[in-house]
Amino acid sequence: MRKILLGTTAVVSAAFGAAVITPAAAQDAPTVRIGGSIQAYYGYINQNGANSNPGGTGDFGRTANATPNAVTGLGGYTDTQFLGTNTTLTSGAAGGLNGVATPGGLGVSLGVPTATATGALANTTAGTGIIGTVAAAPSQGSLTNRTITTGTTATGAGAFARSGKNDFLNLPAISVIVSGKAAQGFTYGGQIDLEFNALEGNLTGGNRSSVQRSTAVVGEAYVFVAHERFGQIRMGDEDGVMGGLMNSGFITNFGTGGVYGVWEQFQIRQSGNRTQTGAGQLGDNTKVIYMSPQFYGFDFGVSYAPNGGGFGNGGCPSDTATAGCDRAYAFRGATAWAVAPAGQLGAMARRNEYQVAARYRGSFAGVGVSATAGYIGAGTAYDLSNAGAQVRTMNGLNVWQVGAQATYMGFTLGAAYYQGDYNFFWGNTVRGDRQAQTLNVGASYTSGPFTFGSNMVTGVYEGGARSDFDAASGRLVRQANPTAYGDRNNLASQRRWGMSVGANYRLAPGLDLIAEYVYHSVRENGRDLDSARAGVQGRGFANVFIMGSRLAF
Amino acid sequence: MRHPILAALLLTTALTACSGGRQVGNEEYGTDNARERILRGGGVNPTNAGLIVFGVDRNQQTEQGGPGGVSVNAYLWRATLETLSFFPLASADPAGGVIITDWYSPPTAESERFKAQAYVLGRQLRSDGVRVQVFRQIYRGGQWVDQPASSATNSEMEDRVLARARELRSQTTASR
Repeated sequence: MRKILLGTTAVVSAAFGAAVITPAAAQDAPTVRIGGSIQAYYGYINQNGANSNPGGTGDFGRTANATPNAVTGLGGYTDTQFLGTNTTLTSGAAGGLNGVATPGGLGVSLGVPTATATGALANTTAGTGIIGTVAAAPSQGSLTNRTITTGTTATGAGAFARSGKNDFLNLPAISVIVSGKAAQGFTYGGQIDLEFNALEGNLTGGNRSSVQRSTAVVGEAYVFVAHERFGQIRMGDEDGVMGGLMNSGFITNFGTGGVYGVWEQFQIRQSGNRTQTGAGQLGDNTKVIYMSPQFYGFDFGVSYAPNGGGFGNGGCPSDTATAGCDRAYAFRGATAWAVAPAGQLGAMARRNEYQVAARYRGSFAGVGVSATAGYIGAGTAYDLSNAGAQVRTMNGLNVWQVGAQATYMGFTLGAAYYQGDYNFFWGNTVRGDRQAQTLNVGASYTSGPFTFGSNMVTGVYEGGARSDFDAASGRLVRQANPTAYGDRNNLASQRRWGMSVGANYRLAPGLDLIAEYVYHSVRENGRDLDSARAGVQGRGFANVFIMGSRLAF
Repeated sequence: MRHPILAALLLTTALTACSGGRQVGNEEYGTDNARERILRGGGVNPTNAGLIVFGVDRNQQTEQGGPGGVSVNAYLWRATLETLSFFPLASADPAGGVIITDWYSPPTAESERFKAQAYVLGRQLRSDGVRVQVFRQIYRGGQWVDQPASSATNSEMEDRVLARARELRSQTTASR
């Protein structure tokens, strides 16, 4: 063992105060370790939303795409649509109507502009059998910004798909762990986690851009300094004290974690049957964390993050601040984008996030008890009106959580409940939206190498947003009530229900065999969660059977 | 907005000023790191696992009580040492789990003396994990003569060691 007894310890102690410094403390060279894990699973997935629009000539229950507004050029061309042949767009007056769509063939027709000039669109030619997706909303009064980003022939090659029920999943990860002891009696260290499982839609990682699944993504990366009397400070990308570090009541020590396990990695996106609000899912945005020593069974923690971005200055290095810039405290479209912040830009409205936690752990007659109460709060970014006014259109994060668990003779039972202003993506809700409630309950039993367990989660959330921001007037406008089922798909509560059973068999320390079953459902009245089926499907579900092994070292 | 933070900081500062706080280990905080969760589930401390690419395996040494280390169950080892502490210690080999005491005469019976050997047999905390053998001699005719110890003495000593080991373990568990 390599120790350097510092001759200057006494001097240093005198400088810092003898109470702070452990006398004759020794300094150790840091130890650097490489660890990692490999999880390999087989999954049988029975879920809805596994197929895309079946194609053909009908719209199969999709709401018909809106005809573009003749004056503004704004329209509903966000969905894939069938464009007939022989369509023409006539040129229009400057700043006004640019084109009159001539119906032809099936669906809404739109030609492909070959020349785009503000205010005039001359010489448009016929598009031939184009399936086009219009990406961005056009600027008002012109078709200049309207681009057709994807196109394929009407035969539908590559546009429609059916998916199977069997798949494998491989989740490798590598960690570099540093630990050391400073001369003054502090311990210190750090960790960098490299994950090779870029799950599209990850909240803060910006992983929704098109990357290969095997692309390395840095998960958590932080440095810590700890002292036995003063507690620990962590800084970097890490969960907050209520976002995973000090929570109680989440029983995930069986299978892959039950409803908080890997089942969601087997999911296909369409029905929205994915994304968690469990502990650890709030995101590893860059923060500073303080956690106290334990006093009479109690320890406390606080954490602070200036915004929702990971790795500090995220999304800002472009020449102008945009919605994707984590430092933007007001941006156009905040209301629409930040509600479900998994957007392409990774726009996040969270500002000044702070978390406080108090935890008690003790033992009573052989029963180990852990209980946590805490709060997650944050401000919100403002939306910008056309006139440049900053309008507060969203609620800040405002979440209370209590949780407790007890362990006796291998049995563990726990529950956690959290309520407040958050949506299912841990995003900000629009003002006037409902608060969310989530309850999870779990139990497990460990006997020798076997662990069995079950957990469930249920919650009610805002499904979309009850109000839209009108940039022209600078006001938040309540959406009109639906006149027919499904015509306002943003106006319902979302209910989620999940349950699981699972088991592990430990072959060796760090090596498990796993079997698990998870059921999860989403219900949202009026929102189509499966566009491949006729009508408005207000329910999405998934049954996932998982078998496999995992290894950590 | 900042009141909860301020309150928490003040409370923590006040508590820190008192003595008696216990340092909370990194393994006592939650994690969503797959590696740590798997290792913890298997009873392995994640800070002790992995391949050391630089430095020394300090955690292992700490758990084993220093370089060379205890390779037998730490609770049983500690409990045996404490139980036999009224004997003068002749030798203790933490690697092999052997404790040999010197001869000891109780003040109330100076004409007899005892010596004990204890073996901690493995890494598991189990009731057959410790063996204690007590030797007895009496002073007769100007010299010490071997006499058999009472048959219950050995098992009583083992029971005391096990009881003490159980206490030590529950104390450690409670403080986690």
